[in-house]
Amino acid sequence: MELLKFMNDQDQQKQNGNILLKIESVSKAFGGVQALWEVSFDLQAGLIKGLIGPNGAGKTTLFNLVTGIFRPDNGQIIFDNQNIQGRQVHDLVNLGIARTFQNVEIFGSMSVAENVMVGQHVRTRSGFWGAITRVPWMVREENNIWNNAMEILSFVGIEDLAHRKSSELPFGWQRLLEIARALASNPKVLLLDEPAAGLNATETRQLGKLLKKIQKKGITLLLVEHDMSLTMEICDRIVVLDQGKKLAEGTPREIQNNASVMAAYLGMGT
Amino acid sequence: MTRDQISYVIFFAAIVATGLILKNYFYFQLITIIGINTLLALALNMLLGYAGQISLGHAAFYGIGAYTSGILTATYGFNPWMALPCALMLAIVIAVVVGFPTLKLTGYYLGMGTLGFGMIVHIVFREWSSVTGGASGFMGIPPLEIGHVSFFEPRNYFFLVWFVVLLSFILCKRLINSRTGRALKAIHDSENAAKAVGINTRNLKLKIFVFSAALSALAGFLYAHMISFISPESFSFLVSVKIVTMVVIGGMASIWGSLLGASLLTMLPEWLHAFSDFEMVVYGLILMVVMIITPQGLTRGIIEIYERSRSAKAKR
Repeated sequence: MELLKFMNDQDQQKQNGNILLKIESVSKAFGGVQALWEVSFDLQAGLIKGLIGPNGAGKTTLFNLVTGIFRPDNGQIIFDNQNIQGRQVHDLVNLGIARTFQNVEIFGSMSVAENVMVGQHVRTRSGFWGAITRVPWMVREENNIWNNAMEILSFVGIEDLAHRKSSELPFGWQRLLEIARALASNPKVLLLDEPAAGLNATETRQLGKLLKKIQKKGITLLLVEHDMSLTMEICDRIVVLDQGKKLAEGTPREIQNNASVMAAYLGMGT
Repeated sequence: MTRDQISYVIFFAAIVATGLILKNYFYFQLITIIGINTLLALALNMLLGYAGQISLGHAAFYGIGAYTSGILTATYGFNPWMALPCALMLAIVIAVVVGFPTLKLTGYYLGMGTLGFGMIVHIVFREWSSVTGGASGFMGIPPLEIGHVSFFEPRNYFFLVWFVVLLSFILCKRLINSRTGRALKAIHDSENAAKAVGINTRNLKLKIFVFSAALSALAGFLYAHMISFISPESFSFLVSVKIVTMVVIGGMASIWGSLLGASLLTMLPEWLHAFSDFEMVVYGLILMVVMIITPQGLTRGIIEIYERSRSAKAKR
């Protein structure tokens, strides 16, 4: 039995190939409102995928399902060949799913560097007793945490701010800090909830460059976004949701030329 | 030497100097009580100041430490040093049992939950007369001894308590400046974001609650063997509130703030005896004024005033 299961897994891996995240006919209702209805799509490793749709389309709900905040009523979410249904939020970070928040949730009382240090929580080990006794390996780990933090900050381009209190930063930098903190957990996939919200045009352009840079490091990205110019520019593939259902999926060009997408967005009759 | 290490050395020197210079036994006792209160404030500060979880029932753990050790030594003839681990273990077990369901709550609800727990424990102390001596209190708790050194002598007890305080400061400071400490602060700032960086918030909140309870029980142990007589009123709801006040007045998330808050709240009633009937009125007024002038607690307030005066000088 064990062997059979193992061979099955092997088969599946071959089949999936480079699919990192698989959403399989997922539904979710809140009270009488059907937020999502049988939505399916795959997230191929190494790509940037955009998730767009008008307000109330179910983008945030889907986001919260993948990050473990809600459980789907029906359907499955497979990450890295594991069913992640019912897993705790912090557990998913351990598996390699990192996220940022729409309204930027940084740790305001801490310095910029400390924020990124906390971000490394899942890939460091020292606990209560290690902290109190300060054994050599723990001191070494602490040094590594600091060095990693500085490295990630310079990757994102805010290493000069390392010692500033994070709540005093302008909004745009806080957003970069949040991305840096998410990267610190060494994720396989990074989920961004409207990363361009509240940014001006220059900042949005810089953000786009950063996201491309993150992709080059081999991290898969899924972003929910309102800003069309950003989505069209950086996404490899786009999924369109409308009223809880998947409306279309394709390359940015295909999406732009899709009649039903235009209808949903601009209210034009089909 | 780091800044922390320098402050420990200064603290150590201050303890030794006070112990050698002071002659009056009354002051020794008062300062020893400040030390015990500092431990309590420190214990709660780890939970409230750093992890952001309120407890309005911390006097219960203080009392569990005191009563367990008192009963085991006076009634059952345990050696106090054997009773200490028992008292700590009991506090830890109760903290796990109480903390597991209550720490799911947040904000006001957590306050209510811990408040209820504190009241239940207080009632047990008062009503379980056959074991705890009931409302009239529990007597005959033996003093501590190590070899030939008797801690019945107030000077020795002063040294014992304050070295425990110093040690606890070092341990807590180390804990705060670590992976675990950062995770605690993260929970305080945003529990959602803490989860999103992979912190098992439930587990960690329980751990710090247990740590805090054990430290409070240690303070209870030191209190019981100093006074040799304990009564339920020393562990009532008002005492829990007093510990919270020490933390808030001294400064949340500040180790030295615990010392400052505990000192002020222990000394104030002594200084205010002169006001006799108006003692509590003046006491309340002083606390109000402190909170209005330095809403972030004395430690932050003093640092801010210092920095302002320095920058003012620099401008001139």
